[in-house]
Amino acid sequence: MSRARNPILQLDLQCWRKRLLMALVFGGFTVLTARAAYLQGWRNDFLNQQGDMRVQRVVEMPAHRGMITDRRGEPLAISTPVESIWLNPREADATPSQIQALASKLDWDPDSLARLFANKGKAFVYLKRQLPPEVADAVQAMAIKGIHTTPEYRRYYPAGEVIGQVLGVTGADDNGLEGIEYAYQSWLGGEPGAKRVVKDRLGNTIEDLELVRSPKPGRDLTLSLNLQLQYLAYRELSAAVAANKARAGALVALDTRTGEILALANVPTFNPNNRATMTPERDRNRAVADTYEPGSTIKPFLVSAALEAGAVTPETRIDTDPGWLQIGEKRIHDVHSKGLLSVAEVIQVSSNVGAAKIALAMKSEDYWKVLSHAGFGAAPGSGFPGEAGGKLRPHETWRPIEKATMAFGMGMSVSLLQLARGYCAFADDGVLPRITILKRDAPPVGVRVLSAKTARAMRDMLESVTQPNGTAPQARITGYRVGGKTGTAHKAVAGGYSANKYIASFVGMAPMSDPRVVVAVMIDEPTGKEYYGGQIAAPVFAKVMADSLRFMAIPPDRPLEIVPTASGSAEEPT
Amino acid sequence: MFNNAAVRRTSLAPVDWSLLWTVFALLGLGLVMVYSASIAIAEAKSAYHQSTYYLMRHAAYLVVGLAAAYGAFQLPSSLWQKMAPYLFFGLALCLIAVLIPELGRAVYGSRRWIPLGPLGNFQPSELVKLFTVIYAADYAVRKAALMQNLRHGFMPMFMVMLVVGWLLLMEPDFGAFVVIVAIALAVLFLGGLNGRLFGGLIVMLAIGFVLLIWLSPYRLQRVIGFMDPWADPYGKGYQLTHALIALGRGEWFGVGLGESVEKLFYLPEAYTDFLLAVTGEELGFMGVTAIIGLFAWLVWRAFAIGWQSALMGRNFQALTAQGIAVWLAMQSLINMGVNLGLLPTKGLTLPLMSYGGSGIVANCLAIALLVRIDFENRCLMKGKRQ
Repeated sequence: MSRARNPILQLDLQCWRKRLLMALVFGGFTVLTARAAYLQGWRNDFLNQQGDMRVQRVVEMPAHRGMITDRRGEPLAISTPVESIWLNPREADATPSQIQALASKLDWDPDSLARLFANKGKAFVYLKRQLPPEVADAVQAMAIKGIHTTPEYRRYYPAGEVIGQVLGVTGADDNGLEGIEYAYQSWLGGEPGAKRVVKDRLGNTIEDLELVRSPKPGRDLTLSLNLQLQYLAYRELSAAVAANKARAGALVALDTRTGEILALANVPTFNPNNRATMTPERDRNRAVADTYEPGSTIKPFLVSAALEAGAVTPETRIDTDPGWLQIGEKRIHDVHSKGLLSVAEVIQVSSNVGAAKIALAMKSEDYWKVLSHAGFGAAPGSGFPGEAGGKLRPHETWRPIEKATMAFGMGMSVSLLQLARGYCAFADDGVLPRITILKRDAPPVGVRVLSAKTARAMRDMLESVTQPNGTAPQARITGYRVGGKTGTAHKAVAGGYSANKYIASFVGMAPMSDPRVVVAVMIDEPTGKEYYGGQIAAPVFAKVMADSLRFMAIPPDRPLEIVPTASGSAEEPT
Repeated sequence: MFNNAAVRRTSLAPVDWSLLWTVFALLGLGLVMVYSASIAIAEAKSAYHQSTYYLMRHAAYLVVGLAAAYGAFQLPSSLWQKMAPYLFFGLALCLIAVLIPELGRAVYGSRRWIPLGPLGNFQPSELVKLFTVIYAADYAVRKAALMQNLRHGFMPMFMVMLVVGWLLLMEPDFGAFVVIVAIALAVLFLGGLNGRLFGGLIVMLAIGFVLLIWLSPYRLQRVIGFMDPWADPYGKGYQLTHALIALGRGEWFGVGLGESVEKLFYLPEAYTDFLLAVTGEELGFMGVTAIIGLFAWLVWRAFAIGWQSALMGRNFQALTAQGIAVWLAMQSLINMGVNLGLLPTKGLTLPLMSYGGSGIVANCLAIALLVRIDFENRCLMKGKRQ
């Protein structure tokens, strides 16, 4: 006490106080060291597990979808890597100028984008899907909090609208929605893989840890189509539809031996690269999914049935005077009276009265059998989704007037694909091929539906149609013998038939010495001056057929003389 | 023979190199870890996406801090003693300025900074810690005769600390408050404050702390979060659980420099308050113990220098050196204790290592003062022999 009061002695710093403090401090350091050892050496299993829970994620790895090619390997549908950009509004943090810049990059309205950023109730919003990688990179470079990207694949269709309905489309999740993409989903579609990754809190992947499941890429698919021919068919068809101010058109080209579909075009069409062009009117594969009354193009089946049944021979004479035929209350018309015609001439000039008389001279069952065996009334099995089977009523229910009108293709319905396939039976000596949209290595065995003799007789009659006094001299092509049949059907509308709406069609084959290709053309509701099948469908047929033969390198079977442009030759409606 | 004597005399180095190297090691490791911990945040946040944004700033602070330290080293410690009251009260004015909206700058609801234009922001509470050491040491020396007296020995200091403490709590900067109270108490304790008086004071302080925590909801939350962080790992316990995860991921030898995952936006304040957790993740237990060891040696040397001064009768220097020891020990213990989940979250940086200009400069000045005191001791020792 006395010492402390003496200012001269000043302070007496006591050693124990220093030691006590030091003991506390170094005790503290020791506790820290022990705690660190406990956390890092012993408790780290629990902490590591908790850490993994927070930083590791299993993410999906998109699988590459198989490529679709034409028969020569030209790509028709290919998958390219793209990025989808999404936003987590909960972690979003951006200045108004950043939002402005992002909106202009992603083509968004800045105000609605700002509202989205402010919507903290959501944790996931797609801003833009399937962007090219360079755009996505530019967005990522802006480093806006809450903006993320996900790798995906986008389908690209190099041929675009030319082949729209055939290929169909895939959805944003890379699954086929229509067409071949839909029908062969399990073949084309890959199985997405999965990997375990470390992510930072903003969702960016930092490190790949392990492959949980490697993605299984889809398989490639080779179609039977010839893209060059497809281009041409589409060009000719759309030109014809435009020139005749028609509502729609369809075209099918078949290889008669293999049953392969070489071209399949529809107008109007859509561009599968731009889903916005899709409407029910445009995305329907009319050649496959739509049915219509075939009109006179069915007559060859009637005549071949009559020949098979022995009801007639090609030379049998039929009197078509006076140009009409009364059956009960109904009357069947030809445009002009043709007088006495042979069965072959009934085909050549397409006489309805003649056809009706042939039908009435035979059993319903015989005609029905040929139609049924030729594939009418059942889906043709080409591999397309949504194939129409058409309507073919059982022969027991046919009344006489129905039997008579069925002779020229009224009261039944077919798809263009069915009709083309049926004509293959004439082309291949009575054998109906199994058709397919896929490329074939070896043709499958077809089904014989007619005798070879009948088929050949029919080919002679079909060739006569393209002669100057037939209904379709416009179908002829340089260097090849061509045969076929026209059809000009009044469209069935509610309560009967329309007086001025037609479907003009032509189905034909070449070369007639040994037909290799069948091409069927259908023009729906031409509203121009001309509407007969021989006038507007046959020229399309001629152009497409000529190119088909050229592409297939089929030798000509006729001297190379210039085919005169036929005009004013006999044409016959129905 | 003469030569031998000369060698022996000069063999006492002019400064404590082991202390300096320890400091340089902490500063260097701090620079590396601040860079590593801030790299991702810098890329995401700074205007031009510079990954070196915080590194460059921290390096600049180091340069400023070392320059200031060099300057401070030139000053005799007695000058500090003379200036102590003026420095302390001058800084108290800064603490008032911080609270004036026109002068201070608020970040996340705390008013701790005075903007100095292009020089950055000045945080007076960092310097308050150093000036409290000096002021308390000077006070203890001045009032040596009254150290047993409550009214004249203790009350003046108590009133001063009450005012300064209140200013700090207004910011609020609870961490700085705890540190200056601890420094003041420790210096008075070492200065020979009456034992019973001191005991009573400790009890009162403890009650005061509990009351403060109890009355302020957010501090209570921090305490609860610290008691069982895993009860609410995505809410109150978020920061601490991520610090613990970072340490656990590091294991004995760490995941490797730059490889921390927790620093990638999971762990908040990764390059300031939770730098140790990132170090623990990247460099493991080895890194953590290295830091603890360096601090332990630094504190040990500071106490030793203080005791050497005491033995030489340099009481102000003795208390200042030991006050610095207490400060660095206290702040590093609290910071590391928080990182390791032993203490509630405080908002205190790791001295000499964490990012922050004012803190680095204040720490460098403290080290300079410490080294100066040691230098003067050595000169005196050499002088005695001569």
